[in-house]
Amino acid sequence: MYRQARLLGVLLILQVVAMVGIGVWLFASVDWDTIVNLSNKPGQIRLQTTDKSVAKDFKRAILFAVYFFAPVVLLLLAGLGFVLLRRRGWMLASVAQALIMLSCLFFYGASRPWFAYPMIAYCILMILLLNSRSVRAVVQRRQLTPAEAKPEIAHGE
Amino acid sequence: MANEESVDARTAEALLRRFEPVIRFTKGEWFYPMDCEPYVDACSLWVRRPGEDALCVVPAGELTLERLAQQPEDTTGAVHYLKIPNPKEDENQGRRARRRARRSHTNPDWPRETFRAGRGRLARVGYISRLADALFSLVLLARGRVPGGDVEGGRVLYGRFMEKEEHFRYHGHVVRQDGWIVLRYWLFYAFNDWRSNVFGANDHEADWEKIFVFLSESESGEVRPEWVAYAAHEETGDDLRRRWDDPELEKIGEHPVAYVCAGSHATRYSRGEYLTELAFPLPRAFAVVRRVVRRFWYVTLRQYADEDYREKPYEQFTIPFVDYGRGDGLSVGPGQDMEWDPPRLMNPLPSWVSRYRGLWGLYTQDPFKGEDAPAGPMYNRDKTISREWFDPVGWAGLDKVPTRTEQLGVITGRQAEIEERRDLLRSELLEKSSRLKALGMDAEATRDQSHLSKLHENQMRHIDELSKEVETLRAQLSDDEVLAESLKDHAERLKDGERPPARAHIVHPARPVSEAETHAGRVAQLWASISIAVVLVTLILIIAYERQQLLSALVFAIAMFAFIEAGFRRRLTRFIVSVNVALAIVGALVILEHYFWGVIILAVLAVGLYILWENLRELGR
Repeated sequence: MYRQARLLGVLLILQVVAMVGIGVWLFASVDWDTIVNLSNKPGQIRLQTTDKSVAKDFKRAILFAVYFFAPVVLLLLAGLGFVLLRRRGWMLASVAQALIMLSCLFFYGASRPWFAYPMIAYCILMILLLNSRSVRAVVQRRQLTPAEAKPEIAHGE
Repeated sequence: MANEESVDARTAEALLRRFEPVIRFTKGEWFYPMDCEPYVDACSLWVRRPGEDALCVVPAGELTLERLAQQPEDTTGAVHYLKIPNPKEDENQGRRARRRARRSHTNPDWPRETFRAGRGRLARVGYISRLADALFSLVLLARGRVPGGDVEGGRVLYGRFMEKEEHFRYHGHVVRQDGWIVLRYWLFYAFNDWRSNVFGANDHEADWEKIFVFLSESESGEVRPEWVAYAAHEETGDDLRRRWDDPELEKIGEHPVAYVCAGSHATRYSRGEYLTELAFPLPRAFAVVRRVVRRFWYVTLRQYADEDYREKPYEQFTIPFVDYGRGDGLSVGPGQDMEWDPPRLMNPLPSWVSRYRGLWGLYTQDPFKGEDAPAGPMYNRDKTISREWFDPVGWAGLDKVPTRTEQLGVITGRQAEIEERRDLLRSELLEKSSRLKALGMDAEATRDQSHLSKLHENQMRHIDELSKEVETLRAQLSDDEVLAESLKDHAERLKDGERPPARAHIVHPARPVSEAETHAGRVAQLWASISIAVVLVTLILIIAYERQQLLSALVFAIAMFAFIEAGFRRRLTRFIVSVNVALAIVGALVILEHYFWGVIILAVLAVGLYILWENLRELGR
C-alpha cells in the first residue's frame, strides 16, 4: 500500500531536482562577469550592466527563483514526507502544484519560456496522480470507529 | 390497484386512531393539519387552458367537496386549480381572523412568536444557495410583492377557519396490500410558507403531506406495527422508512413521533435542522455533457470524489436549503398540547379524492413546479395517479420485505422451490456428466488417427460445450446449496426472535446537522450574511476600475472568495483539489494550443501503433 506513497515521494523529489536543475541552468547562463562589478567599499557588491540581453537573462533567473523557491521547498518537504513518513505531505504537494501552475500560467504570460511547458505537463500529471483514488485512499486512510466497525444486530422487539 | 383491498370504515377508524402519530412542530409554525373541507368551501375553482387566460369555474363561497368532484374532464393541457381568497377582498373578515389568530392558543404569542432561523443558517450552505436565496428575494421584489405577501391570504384564511372551529385533523385511509395493512395519514395544510417564513426554497398554496404506518396481521387477526414511512419532499424508497424497533423512531405508546419542518412540512424522525437538497432538472444537452465528463474523470482517469458528490445524478443539479424540524413548538397527538380531532375517513373512497385531479391551490406555471400547489392525495400534479396511492408498499421500498407473519412461510416456500430446482439440476448434471464421460472416451479412442481427425475435432468441440454446461450446472447447484443453507440459518435466527439490523436498508439517512455546524462562529456567520453582496460589489469595482487586468483581477478575486469560503466551511482540501483541477485544465489547453500539431501527430501515431499492435497480436495467435 505504501509503495504508491513512496513512488509519489520519488516523483515529487524528481520534480524538485528538475526545477533546481532549471534554476541552476538559468543562473549559469547569466554572464556574471559583465554584471558583477566589485565596488571599492569592502563587503559590498554592485550589480550593474548595460547589456540588455544579459539583463534579461539575469531578470529571468531572479524571477524563476522568486516564483519557484517556495513551491520547491514545499515539494521537497512533501516528497520527503511521502518517502520517509509514508502518508504525510499530500496537502503540501497539492499546494505546491497549484503555485507552480499559477506561476507558469499567469506570471510568464505571453513570454512563456520553453521550460514552462514541460513544467505544466509534469504538474498536470502530478495533479491527476495526487487526486487519483488509489493515492487519496492511501493518504486519507483512517481507522474505523468502533461504531462503524461493529455490525448492528437487534434482538426481538 | 389489483393487489389492493380497502378496509371497512369502522376497522379503518379504529386502526387509525390506535396508531395515530404524535406530531411535533417547530416554534413559529403558522399552519397546522386541518380538515380540507372548510378550505375547499372558502376557495374558488379555476381552470387554465393552454394559451388562454385563467377562467373562474366556481366562485368562492359556492364550492364544496361534492361540487369539486363533479368537474368534468377538460381539454389536454388544461389545469384545474383552487385559489384562496385575497384578504383584501374580505377586509373585515380578515381583520377579525387576524385578531382571532392573535388570541388563538395554537399560537399564543402570535405575531411575536415568529420563526427564528438561528445564527448559522446561511453559514451552513454554500455560495450557490446564498445566491439562490438572494435571487428569490429579488424575484419577490420584481413581482412587486413584499416577501411573505403571498402567504398573507393563507394566514388570514387559516385564522378564519380556526375562529370558526378550531381543529387538528388528519385524513385517514387504510388499505391492504401484499400482506400489509397500510394506515395512511394524510395531513392537509392550508399553505406551505417555507420560503416566506423560513427562508426556504418555495411557497405554495395548500400542502398535502403523509405518514404511513405498515402493520402485519397474525393468523389470529392481531395486528402489530412493523414499519413507518414519513414523507419528506420528493423522497421515496428504502431511506424513507424506519422499522418499529429502530432507536431513531421515537414512540409514545403505540404512537410514532414525527417532527414536522417549519414551512415545508417535511416530516422527519429526529428533531433537528436538516440540509435539504432540492433538485432541479438540467437541460438534456447539459446532462449528456455532464455524464460524459464525469465518466471520463471518475472512470477513465480514476479520479477521487467524495461519496456524496460521486453519487449525485447527472440529470439534475441540486441546491441545498435548511429544513427546521426542531420540535420545540406545538405538539399534536394523544396526550399532547392538542389532541387530534376525529379524522376525516377516506374509507370508502370519497369522490373528491378520486374524481378531482386538479391542484389544491394556485397554479403559478412555475417551470420547476415548486411554487405550484400540489394535487390531492391520489394524484401527481400531471394528473397521473401517485405511487404512494396505488403502491404504498413499493413507495416505501417494502415490496421486497415480507411481513413478520409471512417471513417463515416465505422461507419455507423458497426452500421447497430451491430443493425442487436442485433435484432437477442434479438429474440434469448426472445425465450431462455421463454424456461428457462418454464423449471423453470417444475422443480418446479417435485421437491421433488421421482418418478420424474430423470426427475427433467435432468430439472435442462437443466436449468443450458440454463441459461448460456442466460447469454452469455445478455452479448453480453450489449457489443453491449455499442459499439453502443461508435460508435455513436465517429461519433459525428468526425463530429465536433475532431480527436483522433495523437500519441495514438505509443507504442515505437524512441526519440533522450537528451542533457544531449549527453554531458556526460569529465571523463565519457574518461572512455568510455579507458574502454575496461583497462578491457582487467587488466584481463591479473590478469591472469599473481594473479593465486593463480584468481577467487576472477576476480570477484572483474569485479565488480569494472561494478560499475564504472554503476555510469557513472547513473544505480547504476540496478547494485545493478544485483549484488544481481547474489549473490542470487550463494548463492542458495551453499545451494543446502551443503543441497543437505535435499533439495531433502524436495522437495519430498512438492510434496507428495501437492498430499495428492489435493486428500483430492477431497474427501471432
